[in-house]
Amino acid sequence: SSPLQSLDEDCTLEEEDEGLVEEEDEIDQFNDDTFGAGAIDVEDRPGDGDLAESLARLILEADPAIAGVGAAERPGPPPGPGLSGLPPGPPPSSMLSYQQQQHLMRRGTAPMGQMNSHSIWENSMGFGPVSVTPGLVTHMEDSPLMSIIKEVGLPKRPPQGRNDEGRDLSERVPPPRSSSPVIGSPPVRAVPIGTPPKQPMSHALNHQIHHPTAVHVRAPVQHRYPTPFPERLSPNTLLNIANSPLCRGPFPPRVGPVLSQIQRAQLLNSQVGFPRGGPGPPLLPGGGGFRPFFGGPPPPHGHRMGPPPPHGPPNHTPPIRHNTTHLHPQHRRMLTQRMQSRGGDRGRTGGDRRSRDPYSNLMTQKEKEWVTKIQMMQLQSTDPYLDDYYYQNYYEKMEKRQERERDSSKKEHTTKLITPQVAKVEHTYRPVQFAGSLGKLTVSSVNNPRKMIDAVVTTRTDDEEKREKQVWNKRRQILYTVEKMYSLLLEVQDFEKRFVQTPEEDRDALVEQHKSNTEQLCSSLMEKEWEDRVSDEQCVMIMSVRKGKRLISRLLPFLPSPQATAVVMAIARNLPALAKKDKQDQVLCWLVEPVSTVIQSLSSSSLTDLLQELQGSEGQLATVLHNKFGVTLLYLILSEGERMQSSDPNCQLMDDNRWTELVFSVTRELLSVPSSALSPPLFTPPNLLSLFSRYVDRQRLELLQDKLQMSALSR
Amino acid sequence: MNYVPGTASLIDDIDNVASCLPQTGSIVTDYNKHLVLLRDGRTLIGYLRSIDQFANLVFHQTVERIHVGKKFGDIPRGIFIVRGENVVLLGEIDVEKPCDTVLQQVSIEEILEEQRLQQQTKQETEKVKMQVLKDRGLSIPKADNLDEY
Repeated sequence: SSPLQSLDEDCTLEEEDEGLVEEEDEIDQFNDDTFGAGAIDVEDRPGDGDLAESLARLILEADPAIAGVGAAERPGPPPGPGLSGLPPGPPPSSMLSYQQQQHLMRRGTAPMGQMNSHSIWENSMGFGPVSVTPGLVTHMEDSPLMSIIKEVGLPKRPPQGRNDEGRDLSERVPPPRSSSPVIGSPPVRAVPIGTPPKQPMSHALNHQIHHPTAVHVRAPVQHRYPTPFPERLSPNTLLNIANSPLCRGPFPPRVGPVLSQIQRAQLLNSQVGFPRGGPGPPLLPGGGGFRPFFGGPPPPHGHRMGPPPPHGPPNHTPPIRHNTTHLHPQHRRMLTQRMQSRGGDRGRTGGDRRSRDPYSNLMTQKEKEWVTKIQMMQLQSTDPYLDDYYYQNYYEKMEKRQERERDSSKKEHTTKLITPQVAKVEHTYRPVQFAGSLGKLTVSSVNNPRKMIDAVVTTRTDDEEKREKQVWNKRRQILYTVEKMYSLLLEVQDFEKRFVQTPEEDRDALVEQHKSNTEQLCSSLMEKEWEDRVSDEQCVMIMSVRKGKRLISRLLPFLPSPQATAVVMAIARNLPALAKKDKQDQVLCWLVEPVSTVIQSLSSSSLTDLLQELQGSEGQLATVLHNKFGVTLLYLILSEGERMQSSDPNCQLMDDNRWTELVFSVTRELLSVPSSALSPPLFTPPNLLSLFSRYVDRQRLELLQDKLQMSALSR
Repeated sequence: MNYVPGTASLIDDIDNVASCLPQTGSIVTDYNKHLVLLRDGRTLIGYLRSIDQFANLVFHQTVERIHVGKKFGDIPRGIFIVRGENVVLLGEIDVEKPCDTVLQQVSIEEILEEQRLQQQTKQETEKVKMQVLKDRGLSIPKADNLDEY
């Protein structure tokens, strides 16, 4: 069994070794990142200097876990800063934790340096709750590590060829950059963008981020906590920094599995105070709450414990001058009025109420400003009319209304758009270049995304799917066409407004643009081959979607007369099909208004044509009558005809018999169709009866009257 | 204060007090509560303590209010953090406005029971409707929301 056992042990050793090696790499990376390029080389072999050992020693000593383990035997000096008191040489094994001893044994002649490095980090690795507990312990005014670093000063580059493991730390350092310090990514932020500031935006932080010089950990003496943190941080570190400020409050005991190595390292070195029931010497009392290693502000006890001191004078809300340049002048006026009316009462009662609520001001003023700053930044726009259409229009209308109320005699002048225009800053992206490298490195980032997956489109051979897809594609095609037309249409519609606002010189260009837009719109409705005929197919296609119908209804007023007529004809001709497609949407009635406008401008012959189209094929009229829009359209046509006849005695409507015949057939249909099948129109023009009276006898007229009235009532 | 209503102006609402005139000379001592309607239909009322740029909200002393018919019930919930995307509506509660006397407050158990009953009846009617339609070979056409892409 013993060979087997040894085998097992070997295996585990292997695994653990690998695992450790990987972790080592990670750790080393963290190491570098945290302390700067090859900053503090804690992997010194023993005898290469006091630095590593003393460092290790201090840390080991500082850590009560280890200290606790070796407490009995250790003769050493009490934990504290300073190198002087430490004897050189490898730390006594008794000082090391169990795991470290194991490592030592396994590693054999592993350099002490490694050991030491592990000692810093490993201490906090995967021990489970118990071990982490001690790790999170010490609260000290100045962490020993910090003090060492402080004393030792800036790190020096390790001489080459020192590490036989090939782990030359300098290799890990990216070469000095020739262009931007940023690696093609958005600026490295100390904390992720979503985190509110914990303190007045620390100067040091910003300073460090924007300066490419290698910054190393400094521990300013005057602060209670080490504040600044190094510039180049690995994403992991960043994440942990982010996490730590967010973890306010005392740590629960079972924090082990959750923390990563870096966090534990941080915790080791941070000043944390909280009651610990674990083994080890009693802890120094903390300041309450966890303070992150990388220096946060003093914890906000002021907020939590007891009523906060009143912020300044009781009258907390004096009229604050906010920046209102971005607001519409009308809006600004309204706001100032509102403020004035409110200002008095607020001041009186504001102060004492605030002082009574123990939970108020959880958000500091800085945080509030930060959030509002973000909101306001989003509002900067170079084209407010485009970006904020409704706001602009609303205040314009309000202004107009007020002017009208105030002084109706005053001439209406068009209001100019006064909102400030923010200059568009062009951010050209230049990919990062490394000095001395051949060619350009492709670094994938937000500004420069790189294709990671090669997605190949494979067409499916399944017939059914093909058909379905065709239907989908067709629909998408239609929607696409509609969208394109819409953008043109919107420009055409806005032409007037823009025309008024542009200066004289640019007006011609605008007119030209407008013309071309309109032409484009028209041509989109035309047949492909016959350039001057409106394409039925196209129209029907567009109107098969809801958006399309809306589009046509908005478009009709802008089309030149012949085309508009043609479109209306097309609608009439294809009404049954349209009605069927509209069953779900029921929005054909949007077309009523524009169509009626068109109808009213028709000549008599066109009108007759239109009526004919409406009755075109066999049974079409019946379908038309079924549909609300159809009935309305019919009535519109008839009403228009009547108007023509009654107003103009020379009207050519009666010249040929077409009109009369058509009307006859309409009446026949109306009478024959059952009332239930007759759809109530949107409205019934009043002159229909007089129209019918010309053509039908009294009896039929009465019947018609009943029918029409009935349909009007049942609406 | 001079911000267009939106997340920016919310800043002023935090911890804020109703800015109305004291009516009878007595100072209103109640803080401004906020009411938020969530996407899942819940209504929460509480003191708004903190916001961020996504309109994530931190509510303090939150109460979930369930309305069924004319009755309503409050369930105290404590501290709520609402993710901004789940907010449908958010508004201040005006303490000055007279309380709606039509609504009657009931105990939690009662209101939960009422809610359950309401859900039940709704499901039953829906089921019956579908059955009736199915019997006649009809179906309610699905609203074609694909106009937008």
